[in-house]
Amino acid sequence: MDHAADRYVLTRRSLVATGLGAAASAGTALAQGVPAPTGSPAKPGTLTTAPVSQSGLSPRLTMHAIDNFHGTPGAGMVCDLAMLDGDGYRPIKTVTTAPNGRTAEPLLVDDAFKTGRYELVMHVEDYFATFGVKLPSPNFLGRVPIRFRIRDAGQRYHLPVLFTPWGYSYYRGS
Amino acid sequence: MAGITTHVLDTDRGRPAAGVRVDFSVLEDGRWRLIKSVVTNADGRTDAPLLPADQARTGQYQLEFHVDAYFKARSGTDEADIFIDDPVVRFAVFDAKQHYHVPMLCAPSSFTTYRGS
Repeated sequence: MDHAADRYVLTRRSLVATGLGAAASAGTALAQGVPAPTGSPAKPGTLTTAPVSQSGLSPRLTMHAIDNFHGTPGAGMVCDLAMLDGDGYRPIKTVTTAPNGRTAEPLLVDDAFKTGRYELVMHVEDYFATFGVKLPSPNFLGRVPIRFRIRDAGQRYHLPVLFTPWGYSYYRGS
Repeated sequence: MAGITTHVLDTDRGRPAAGVRVDFSVLEDGRWRLIKSVVTNADGRTDAPLLPADQARTGQYQLEFHVDAYFKARSGTDEADIFIDDPVVRFAVFDAKQHYHVPMLCAPSSFTTYRGS
């Protein structure tokens, strides 16, 4: 019996029933203009897009979630962006990644793009639960905080995050 | 052996990151309570486990790595190139009988962590 194929069937069912639709409605995907990921392929965000070059674009903050467990873009990842303000982080917005693992709009651009200390909290445990990945409960990683600085609002900042249920990596990309 | 340990590596220079302050906390009643602050030794590790085996409990734990001060103190680092901001790693000990080694690899503009061994 092909267990992998069996698992994908279950995943497709769970997606149709509750999965990505719930993730999208939990965030502000519609307000952001992110296409509702209903009818998504059985595997998360099947890779059909070519890399995107942002060279020459105006200063902005963009992100890219990459699922190194499935080898796909991290589609439907709920992310909370906040900025350090005094002793705590002040929420700015919650977004959900599109099928290509990016957000439809920049996280910050124009007047909203300011120097400062930021935190992007990625809902990694919920993400893998959506795709039916069996993990410990609670999982090793739940909500992952990504902390970074924007030091020069005259530059473009790209934040790629590579993740699995057991680890993650982020860096200043391009 | 159960418990929690860490290891801080400077992948920019290819060597252990010595002298990095690490704040180790546990989630209690929705708040992070600091258990201890330690400083990495010459090998980038802590002299004693963050959480010794006899204190291992399930729960949510947090490591905050104060690498900003480390990078600024390091010769030849341009502060403008420091992108990561004192990274915080939050993880669950879901089985107190297991060991949780949580290494972190850092450079001024990149950060990686994972469940190690």
